[in-house]
Amino acid sequence: MSRRLVAPIFGMVTLLALWESFVRLFDVRRFILLAPSTAVRYLWRFRSDYLSAAWVTVQHAAIGLLLALSVALLIGSVLVSNRFLETAAQPVLTLIQVVPWVAYISSVVVWLGSGTAPALFMVTVVCLPAFIFAAVDGMRSVEPSTLELMASVNASRSEVLRRVRLPSAAPTLFTTLRFNLGLALAVAYYTEGANFSNKGIGAIGRRAAADNHADRLWAAIFAIAIVGVGGLQLLALLERTLLHWHAAQRTESV
Amino acid sequence: MDPTMLAADSVHSARMSRIEIRDLSKSFGDLAVLHQISLEIESGSFVSFIGPSGCGKTTLVRVIAGLQAATAGEVRVDGDSPEEARAHKRVAMVPQQPGLLPWRTVRANARLLLDINRAANPPDAAEPEALLREVGLGDFMDAYPHELSGGMLQRVSLVRALALNAPLLVMDEPFAALDEITRAEMRALLNGLVAGRGVTVLFVTHSIPEAVALSDRVIVSSPRPTTIVADLIVDLPRPRARDIDDEARFVDLCAQVRHALHGAMRP
Ligand SMILES: Nc1ncnc2c1ncn2[C@@H]1O[C@H](COP(=O)(O)OP(=O)(O)OP(=O)(O)O)[C@@H](O)[C@H]1O
Ligand SMILES: [Mg+2]
Repeated sequence: MSRRLVAPIFGMVTLLALWESFVRLFDVRRFILLAPSTAVRYLWRFRSDYLSAAWVTVQHAAIGLLLALSVALLIGSVLVSNRFLETAAQPVLTLIQVVPWVAYISSVVVWLGSGTAPALFMVTVVCLPAFIFAAVDGMRSVEPSTLELMASVNASRSEVLRRVRLPSAAPTLFTTLRFNLGLALAVAYYTEGANFSNKGIGAIGRRAAADNHADRLWAAIFAIAIVGVGGLQLLALLERTLLHWHAAQRTESV
Repeated sequence: MDPTMLAADSVHSARMSRIEIRDLSKSFGDLAVLHQISLEIESGSFVSFIGPSGCGKTTLVRVIAGLQAATAGEVRVDGDSPEEARAHKRVAMVPQQPGLLPWRTVRANARLLLDINRAANPPDAAEPEALLREVGLGDFMDAYPHELSGGMLQRVSLVRALALNAPLLVMDEPFAALDEITRAEMRALLNGLVAGRGVTVLFVTHSIPEAVALSDRVIVSSPRPTTIVADLIVDLPRPRARDIDDEARFVDLCAQVRHALHGAMRP
């Protein structure tokens, strides 16, 4: 327990200390690398601005993730019972995954305008394929004998989905959620910067970069980092509560 | 007075299942698995199926349970088609692997079949918790499957099926994955559980002593395409003692089954 608490703090403190001394010793240009102490001080001074910006970014990422997850569950439930559609969907989803989202973001911004719409749209689309793959894999992972047991009492398709397939998919979905969290933050940050709005950490970062304002830029970087770490902690907590049965199974098999 | 006992007694005749099979054949493509099987099974009897691996025992019980359609012939469960019996939850399965859902507690797993397709639940469904206590899992109601041993998991699987209070219980090698000691325990437990419940049990096994110790009747089948080569009545009295294996009649019956089985395999 103490190791699990102390070790990560030790790692972080070491990184920040090395970073701080590196910047001071070698007198790095501010824009390239800012001393953490300076960035944190700036962040603290303008905390209310950063806080409201962070709230916007959190909403973009979280709502986008939830939308992607819901759509993935819907599409996944259809694909899992239809091999033809699954095979048809494969190339489309792979295409979404391999085409860099930064490439078509300008078109989306022109289409959806500035503000929340393009951010939510981008986060949802970019996170969707991994969620769908995870949903289908997870729902397929059910033992045939379990399905047979359900059939023996004439379970309906929706009962099988709700009682067996969805819970079976939960562990894979959580793993994907953790991976998609970073992606969602990146997409939200970038879209906020690219969509001419002045809301969100991404918007602050973009303007700071354009103005060559190192303190503001690095404070934005710290802000998004804090949001990311907080999100991961929240996910870990959720996973421990909702999937305790799975965690226990895992540790036993190791 | 135990209310479940009372309920079971008063509805005995209604919750028993007579099975009639006429000229049943089943093939998978070109592979003929069952060949013109005819068989009648009395309500409330315990019937074991024993036969060489791959001969089609699983196929046979799956057809009877309404999980697979026959290619030809007819199966009646209480006069109804197997699909109809299944739709009314009159067939309870105990699969080879317990297959408990890892996110459900023992209590919730025992309830699983009652939670599905609720509309078809019988009015006299058994109380899973009472059954769990009966099989000695009273202290493990809130445990999760990963905290249980193989024998305990299989006991939950047994309770899950019995809780339906279905007149037909289909068990496909339920104890195959268990060690010898646990198997003997499960055998005694099952004998006690079905006694007085009036259920018809179809029991697939590879173990001759297990078949004889549990059954009223042992049906021996040939290799594919399966036909019935022997149909032996087990006239051992009930309730059966744990050490029934030592009795001369038991040994004799086992020998009969073994000979029928070997005869079937070397035509
Ligand atoms: N769904 C299916 N499709 C095609 N062939 C099948 C199918 N189910 C079973 N078979 C074939 O039918 C034959 C009988 O299988 P079955 O599982 O009924 O045998 P079994 O007697 O239960 O064997 P075991 O004792 O090993 O469990 C096997 O040759 C098997 O390959
Ligand atoms: Mg089998």
